[in-house]
Amino acid sequence: MKAFTHVNARSVDEAIQLLVQSKGRAKLNAGGTDLLGVLKDRILPDYPETIINIKTIPGLSSIEVDEEGINIGALTPLVDIISSSLVKKNISLLREAALTVASPQIRNMATIGGNLSQDIRCWYYRYPDEIGGRIKCFRKGGKTCPAVSGENRYHAIMEAKKCFAVCPSDTAVALTALGATLNIAGSNGTRTLLVEDFFTPMGNVLTSDEMITVIHIPKPLHTARQTFLKFTLRKPIDFAIVSAAALITLEEGVCNDSCIVLGAVAPLPVRAFKAEEFLRGKELSEENAAEAAGLALAGAKPLSKNAYKVEIAKTLVKRSVMG
Amino acid sequence: MEPTYQKESHSTLTLSINGDTHLFALGEGCHEVSPAHTLAFTLRERLGLTGTKISCDHGACGCCTVMMDGKAVLSCMLLTIECEGKVISTIEGLGDPVTGSLDPIQQSFIDHTAFQCGFCTPGIIMSTKALLAENPSPTRGEVQDALSGNFCRCNSHYHVMDAVMAVVRKDG
Amino acid sequence: MKDYRFIGKSTPRKDALDIVTGKTKFINDLSVPNMLYAKVLRSPHPHALIKSIDTSKAMNLPGVKAVLTYKDIPDWMGGLPQHVRVLDSKVRYVGDAVALVAAETEEIGEEAIRLIMVEYELLPAVYDVEEAMRPEAPQLYEQFPGNVLPQGIRVFGSNPLQELVIGDIDQGIAEADFIIEGTYAYENIPNPLPPESPGAIVVWEGTDTLTVWSASQGPHMLKVSLQNFMGGSTNVKSIGSPVGGSYGSKYMSWQYVFPAAALAKATGRPVKLCYGKAEHLAAFSVRIGSRINGKVGMKMDGTVTFLEGDWLVNTGAFSEMAQGMIAVGCGEAQLMLKCANWNLRPQVVCTNRTASGQVRGFGGQELKCALIPILTLGMEKANLDPVDFFKRNYVKPGEGYYWRDGKWWVSKGVDFTKAIEEGAETFGWQKKWKGWLKPTSVEGTKRRGVGVGVHGNADVGEDVSEAFVRLDPDGKATIYSGLAEHGTGQRSSICKMVAEILQLPLDRVSVTASDSSINPFEFGPVGSRGTYAIGSAVIAAAQDAKKQLFELMAPKLNVTPEDLETEEGMVYVKGKPEVRLPWIKGMRYHGTCLGRGSFKPDFTLPNFMMIFTEVEVDTETGKVELISVVGTTDVGQIIDPLSLTNQLNGCLGSAGIDSAIFEETVIDTRLGRIMNPNMIDYKWRTFTELPKMEHAILETPFPSHQFHAIGVGEIAPSPGPSAILMAVTNAIGVRIYDYPLTPDKILSALGKIDIVKKGGRG
Repeated sequence: MKAFTHVNARSVDEAIQLLVQSKGRAKLNAGGTDLLGVLKDRILPDYPETIINIKTIPGLSSIEVDEEGINIGALTPLVDIISSSLVKKNISLLREAALTVASPQIRNMATIGGNLSQDIRCWYYRYPDEIGGRIKCFRKGGKTCPAVSGENRYHAIMEAKKCFAVCPSDTAVALTALGATLNIAGSNGTRTLLVEDFFTPMGNVLTSDEMITVIHIPKPLHTARQTFLKFTLRKPIDFAIVSAAALITLEEGVCNDSCIVLGAVAPLPVRAFKAEEFLRGKELSEENAAEAAGLALAGAKPLSKNAYKVEIAKTLVKRSVMG
Repeated sequence: MEPTYQKESHSTLTLSINGDTHLFALGEGCHEVSPAHTLAFTLRERLGLTGTKISCDHGACGCCTVMMDGKAVLSCMLLTIECEGKVISTIEGLGDPVTGSLDPIQQSFIDHTAFQCGFCTPGIIMSTKALLAENPSPTRGEVQDALSGNFCRCNSHYHVMDAVMAVVRKDG
Repeated sequence: MKDYRFIGKSTPRKDALDIVTGKTKFINDLSVPNMLYAKVLRSPHPHALIKSIDTSKAMNLPGVKAVLTYKDIPDWMGGLPQHVRVLDSKVRYVGDAVALVAAETEEIGEEAIRLIMVEYELLPAVYDVEEAMRPEAPQLYEQFPGNVLPQGIRVFGSNPLQELVIGDIDQGIAEADFIIEGTYAYENIPNPLPPESPGAIVVWEGTDTLTVWSASQGPHMLKVSLQNFMGGSTNVKSIGSPVGGSYGSKYMSWQYVFPAAALAKATGRPVKLCYGKAEHLAAFSVRIGSRINGKVGMKMDGTVTFLEGDWLVNTGAFSEMAQGMIAVGCGEAQLMLKCANWNLRPQVVCTNRTASGQVRGFGGQELKCALIPILTLGMEKANLDPVDFFKRNYVKPGEGYYWRDGKWWVSKGVDFTKAIEEGAETFGWQKKWKGWLKPTSVEGTKRRGVGVGVHGNADVGEDVSEAFVRLDPDGKATIYSGLAEHGTGQRSSICKMVAEILQLPLDRVSVTASDSSINPFEFGPVGSRGTYAIGSAVIAAAQDAKKQLFELMAPKLNVTPEDLETEEGMVYVKGKPEVRLPWIKGMRYHGTCLGRGSFKPDFTLPNFMMIFTEVEVDTETGKVELISVVGTTDVGQIIDPLSLTNQLNGCLGSAGIDSAIFEETVIDTRLGRIMNPNMIDYKWRTFTELPKMEHAILETPFPSHQFHAIGVGEIAPSPGPSAILMAVTNAIGVRIYDYPLTPDKILSALGKIDIVKKGGRG
């Protein structure tokens, strides 16, 4: 890799201060499983001068419960989330999502904060600079999105604007379904937002001097049935082609409440509000699940090569609802 | 303009590899360790420990798998400078170099010819070692999951499964 | 079956210890003193002229020792016929080499290539094989009008098989009960994707002597071909390091040796060029594209009365070996199909994407993947069981075929009927086969289907191998062979053959390093020729050495050489084992016995592979799951059981079966770029999803050599993709005309979405 300076941050404040001082020419390194790939391929026009290690910040890797819910430190490795009995008992949806990420080695290294803030996987965006030069697009100061009329089999089928890459994070889908919020610290103080509001088509909302510190999953911790489904060509390694998370509260075969979220169909996790509305008070049956699935995808606007994702998404909604 | 934040707090780096301690000078010189060097690069190019292989160099194939603090990790996606204070084991650290005795996993791989070209083999053995250290009696499915991040193109998977399950049965 | 001491028994591979301890030194594990690192500047355009190129900034970067452009590289040319310059004033694919840099470190090299300023004049590009042949298509090479490469491959003889024109098509039309027509394409350009990226270290001594260390699959032939391509007085010493997978793609190697050699010449220092994985995927060998527009006449009993068609071969930016693959592919087609009247017209066409090269299956796989599905149109019409069709059609002893040299050869091999029947039994074919386009079972949204494919190759006896076996007085044997180890375990298998002949413990038999200055000629372990061709040379050398030993020992024991045998380094009198002497008594401490052996090409022993597959298709997601695979073959005599099953299990890897399911090189044809030059987006089989895998391995002695064995590794994956296509077709009841069978294609075939199909139509 091209050279950079390296610093170990010893506190969140120090990390933020370092980000401010670097004027956008530094990057935070958590697990490194996304950042190092970005750097090796030189996909971005600007290469950081400094890498700030945030694994050296104490207190950011933890899973705790209090009267408001569960708090997970942003630097908690995915493997710890998977092995946590607290998570398994109360928010198993998150565990199921984390289990589908990449490979055991990656899960040992990657953190939940990193999984949420990882860069998009669009293969135009990720095209390696060494094979004829990186590809420009809206995100890199260009004026087009080459995917829109090109090879877009993995790209968004809804809610995209300018950039058609999907949100690649599996944990984001589960956390959205769980109603999770993120604590973000920056030079202007801290702020809290819903997970799904963290993402926009042109990138996440972090400014150049911010970092996620805590992920908060509010009570009531669900007694609902939690199902996470991820469709890929291969079970490990692959990013989701489509994913779905469903929390279904059942009483004697009737769906009292549900929370259905679609992943990898848009630049952000998508709540299927119309589907949830339809299911409320209805008997849980194949027909109703299928109709809910149709409603969930009613707003889909597939591109030239990704219409198949609509079908798969409908199937995943149906199957995750049925459990 | 020169950034005003702290400079490097040290100009050397100490790594613990296979029980040995190595002291490196940090820098961009030809025998130094750069902050931009991955652990895989340092192992191979600075320590001559070429048993750890680089294939995809992007964390997608597992050929560079080593153990760090008991867990299987991808050395091509770790910055050397961030590995100080960690206990690192590579394929060269299995078995006893003085007596020549092998780790049971290695012996089983020999007995089952659990390789063809052998390029992916160190990574697979290290992933297996990490698994068995934590779970000495995995099911076949758990072994497959533990190896799910390891690429093999000659397709020695079936012999590898035989070799690993033989070790599990022996210990179990 | 004969009971041997080593042959047929499981023995640890001789390189096993090094492999499991990480001691094996692959090419990128090696370095030589004073070595520089090479980096290649690669073209951003699929087709362009270089108008200007300014290397001054790069040259001035500290640590850069040479920057080469097309203006200052040697005139070596590779390709078939030779048409590929080390660097050219024209670029023909995104990733094509534009300039070369040698620097003290890789990082400096990476910075240097970014300082080279190039001005291009863009040219239109073409990717589709039929479009490339149109008169108005952009021309990649002045000398190849219509982008069609000349036929012929000298190495195969003066009249190599470059098309199949046999008999009388009109006669075949007259005899047919019906005629079917179809177009099928295998154009997903899978990548063999060995884990080790290509690499070499080269150094010159003076102006004429070049030493090359490389991960070549055929390091001895590399010396021969380099000397041929480089011309003049170049002496090449080629040393092969253990190969981290090749599957054919690293056999030629000039593609990466030339740039390193040019830089080594310019700098006077050793140069290492090891590709990164993106380079490996975007700018190195992929499979050829294969499209057949075919017409077949059949009788209701499965007799094929004629086969007529165009076989359009897309070789990308140049031909490394396409004409050779056509020759062998045409030969292999006849092994599979008894037909009196052929008019199969192959054409090799170049297009603006990374060049295709030889890959396991060597043209035959690519041909079969398009041809077998066309034949199934006829099998379906006549309601024939494909296993019966293949059984009736596969070449039997006494039957003949034109092989790659254009000559007529008659099979002296074995009848594979029994292998077919045993394989079908192992798989449960009778129960699972329900007829054409009919699923084996349906359970909710999941439909299962079965398919079968076949392949075979007479190249098991191709080309020449030579070997020496040296016996030392301390009871050891050394095999001199230029054989590279690329995963088959062949270097250990030849030791077993020699150990068997000399009855020596395996640890007393070894092989020399694969060094062209030490060893006699070795064509290389390709086309499954290791067991028969290389084995024969080694066996002959061992027998020759043994003969010499007995001539030395006979007077010491007062018998004639014919009365002697040897074991454990002791020669004894037959029938009187107590009368024995150690080798040193005959050889003395200062003597050796050097036996010589060689193998001359023999195309009379075709091998055989049949693959049965069962798939499950989820009709609501389009996902294809591979449930079970059964391979069946007859190898004459197993040399090493685990090496054999390893090779047969390889049917999933090296762009085999999985090239039908999810392997694909994705090209954006507006930009000319490969979109998935990485190992997340190029898909390969993982540990988590292993199908049930079984093999039926028969041992009917072949008239090959002392051990009656034949090789099979190269063909192991080749029947796979067409078998998968058949299985999926049967599962969903709808035909699909190209590969791979990804969810979008399945869902479209089921009418659930609308997509544009490319490449094939029925």
